[in-house]
Amino acid sequence: MANGTENIAGYSNPEHVAGGKFSFRSLTDKISGITERKTPPVWFVAFGAASSLLLVLLGSIGYLVWEGVGIWGLNNPVGWGWAIINFVWWVGIGHAGTLISAVLFLFRQKWRTSINRAAEAMTIFAVICALLFPGIHVGRVWHAYYMFPLPSQMGIWPNFKSPLLWDVFAVGTYFTVSTLFWYVGLIPDLATLRDRATSRVRQLVYGFLSLGWLGSNRHWQNYERAYMILAALSTPLVLSVHSVVSFDFATSVEPGWHTTIFPPYFVAGAIFSGFAMVLTLMLIVRVVFGLTELITLKHIELMNKIILVTGMLVGYAYAMEFFIAWYSGNPYERYVFINRATGPYAWAYWTMISCNVISPQLFWWKKLRTNIPLTFVISIVVNIGMWFERFVIIVTSLHRDFLPSSWGYFRPTVVDVATYMGSIGLFMTLFLLFIRWVPSIAMAEIKGVLPEADPHYGHGDEHAHAAVGVAAKAEA
Amino acid sequence: MDGRPIVREADLEEFKRNPSFAREMAEHPPLKSIYPDHDYSRGYQWGMVIDLNACIGCGACTIACQSENNIPIVGKEQVSRGREMHWIRNDRYYVGDTDNPQIVHQPVACQQCENAPCEEVCPVAATSHDKEGLNTMNYNRCIGTRYCSNNCPYKVRRFNFFNYVKDMPEVIRMAQNPDVTVRSRGVMEKCTFCIQRLIRTKRNAKKENRTVKDGEIQTACQQACPAKAIYFGNINDPESNVSILKTNDRNYELLGELNVRPRNSYLAKLRNPHPLLKGYEPDEV
Amino acid sequence: MTSHATEKSSAGSATTWLLAEYDSPAACMHAAEKLRDAGYRDFDTHTPFPIHGMDRAMGLPDSRLGWIVLAMAATGLASAVSMMVWMNGIDYPIVVGGKPPISIPSMVPVAFELTVLFSAFGAVFGMFGLNKLPRHHHPLFESERFRAATTDKFFVSVSSSDPKYDADTTRQLLESAHAAHVESIEEVRS
Repeated sequence: MANGTENIAGYSNPEHVAGGKFSFRSLTDKISGITERKTPPVWFVAFGAASSLLLVLLGSIGYLVWEGVGIWGLNNPVGWGWAIINFVWWVGIGHAGTLISAVLFLFRQKWRTSINRAAEAMTIFAVICALLFPGIHVGRVWHAYYMFPLPSQMGIWPNFKSPLLWDVFAVGTYFTVSTLFWYVGLIPDLATLRDRATSRVRQLVYGFLSLGWLGSNRHWQNYERAYMILAALSTPLVLSVHSVVSFDFATSVEPGWHTTIFPPYFVAGAIFSGFAMVLTLMLIVRVVFGLTELITLKHIELMNKIILVTGMLVGYAYAMEFFIAWYSGNPYERYVFINRATGPYAWAYWTMISCNVISPQLFWWKKLRTNIPLTFVISIVVNIGMWFERFVIIVTSLHRDFLPSSWGYFRPTVVDVATYMGSIGLFMTLFLLFIRWVPSIAMAEIKGVLPEADPHYGHGDEHAHAAVGVAAKAEA
Repeated sequence: MDGRPIVREADLEEFKRNPSFAREMAEHPPLKSIYPDHDYSRGYQWGMVIDLNACIGCGACTIACQSENNIPIVGKEQVSRGREMHWIRNDRYYVGDTDNPQIVHQPVACQQCENAPCEEVCPVAATSHDKEGLNTMNYNRCIGTRYCSNNCPYKVRRFNFFNYVKDMPEVIRMAQNPDVTVRSRGVMEKCTFCIQRLIRTKRNAKKENRTVKDGEIQTACQQACPAKAIYFGNINDPESNVSILKTNDRNYELLGELNVRPRNSYLAKLRNPHPLLKGYEPDEV
Repeated sequence: MTSHATEKSSAGSATTWLLAEYDSPAACMHAAEKLRDAGYRDFDTHTPFPIHGMDRAMGLPDSRLGWIVLAMAATGLASAVSMMVWMNGIDYPIVVGGKPPISIPSMVPVAFELTVLFSAFGAVFGMFGLNKLPRHHHPLFESERFRAATTDKFFVSVSSSDPKYDADTTRQLLESAHAAHVESIEEVRS
């Protein structure tokens, strides 16, 4: 099947996609089967752990709303701590999913079809975890709706000059568009599950959710146009949303925050940490659910290359910040950077540098970037490094700014840590539910890029030749 | 002070040589804004000048403010965590030789910046500028994002991390000022230039069909200061004390180089030590 | 591949579909081209994934979705700007940071995001509207074999509302493109 079909009609190497070993039916069976078979026991174990952490999260939030923000380690001058670090961390992680779905689609990278569904799901869950934090970190959570442009008794409206408000619109739009994009992509696959359903309940649920999709080409035409438009919209969204998040810092006056490099630096960092999270998840899922022929070593290597590139962009940004701080001659700016590297939080700064700049350099060697256990370790190290990057940015800039009389030290409390671990629990719970009930690989898309999907596929097939002839005439 | 021109001082000889030494201790770039300057030429425009030469660092201003504005007492543990609520604080810096340092004091309250960095970042518009130049804080709109305090270069904004007034003893309740709101958990507060006194005095003046006289309004900190270091008044009135003092050679704005245009300014400190008292060089800050 | 003698539908009575099943994208596309060349208009293909060149094979005009999205984008932009100008500039003007209440640069992020949001709504709900989805009950679902349309088989359906439809001629046309199976489905009207 695979031989003699290289590079037909501009398809990339079929080995990248499904390893040249699948037919439409076997692919459908394999992927749908995960949602149709009995739940593997290891899923229950993972789900138990994830939901315990979720309960920890709910408890932490309850305690927070009851007692007040003081149960966290915040103080004056450090008004933002773990909550905002976690917010930026989760939003950053979410960006890889959109990049894989949208940007790689626009660049016609067919290898994305094995990972895009799970990556988009990861985006949505990461953004849910992200949106949690600005919601709960405010002093008066029960009035958080004041941020929305709704009429109020006071007659006043939100302040549209505030970057936090831009965040509300940006992350809100990002969440909505990502969910819509993910759902639209899911419709044909949900229809597949509906048509394979053996129980009435499955038929009803998947049937309802697939909206009556019948694979009609008139529908496909509008569908593909919508998909392309959503991909084209999501691309500037990836760039703009994390830029807007970076504006929370870049538009302020604090030394160490007030710098124009933040938007591209944050976006590069987001893609960096997002791909690392995709790898962490996919390396586990592909083994547990037997998808190693669909999510291949080639996919892993390509993702590692992206991690190397974005890691170097982030490293460049670190160096440039330092250089500009020195070059500017601004004493406050210079001090902040010297303090980062040599002050009370130097341990955090050097953790960040070794995790983000040094560890991805291992991927220059092919032997190392095709090494799966090493990839797994580095993907986690990268995410740790990216968490520390946000820690360094937020806490070290705040703790020592303009007036030395205001300098202070921030220490997290147990509740800070519990809330963060709990958010990981929320993410894992949602992801596990996704893996169990939703096709984790985009069946319709991956079928569409198999060599057999090309109407001109196969030699010695008279009708294929005739079709080619007709198509050629139509094109002339 | 790590080389920062926060408290600016000189000894008498240097002052005689260069009276406006204070303004030259920091490089102040001009404000290149795409927006036109806001027009503050009409009505009362409140401003304050603090004379560092007079200030002895006694802290009476802090206590007076606490009493006048119902500032909560947070307790030893919260203060050690850095959550004290004082709207005006006394900053103390050491200068000179580490073995025999000199001390400088600087009371810092909200500078009521015309280009306030705090106002711009509040998502719910809880803090904005009124037409008299005050940076107003709207407690019932504040949802407590704390972005404003992050953006304040002076760190004068205080956040209610807990409900500090929950267990207030009856006696203290009776001592609260009825003209001032008691803030709840989760809102930000800061110096308001004793707005309750401003309003009361303006209202009385209006009833008597006149304008407010210079010196008629005294903020609580000004009233309590034993050294008369704090001056408050209308900077739109060229004959008020504050207006005259703001033209003084020693006048400088704390962090003025950030171009936030604070309404609060300081008069630099002068020292006149006996030449035999060694260990101090005015340029070593 | 037995022939059914089915009545020609008349206006007002139930529609019938002829559903032909094919084993490959090429065969399905070939059948569509034959139908297009024979002048049929009310037919469709049903495939598990979109097939390259099928739109041309069926003679379909371009999708109108782009115009819907453009209109929604313009709506989004206009709504965002008017919202901000009205809320912060006219209804309750506030001065923050010494800046004028209506300032275009600070409006850019929100305006951009709302433009994108409305465009996305236009793309998704416009697509649903153009496709007339959700439509959970379609007579074609009565066919058991049709379930494979979302897995690995490729179908062509011709509706009897097409003026060129004839139970026998159309069936022959479909079979001549190497159909694996042809069946007739009647719409059940209650």
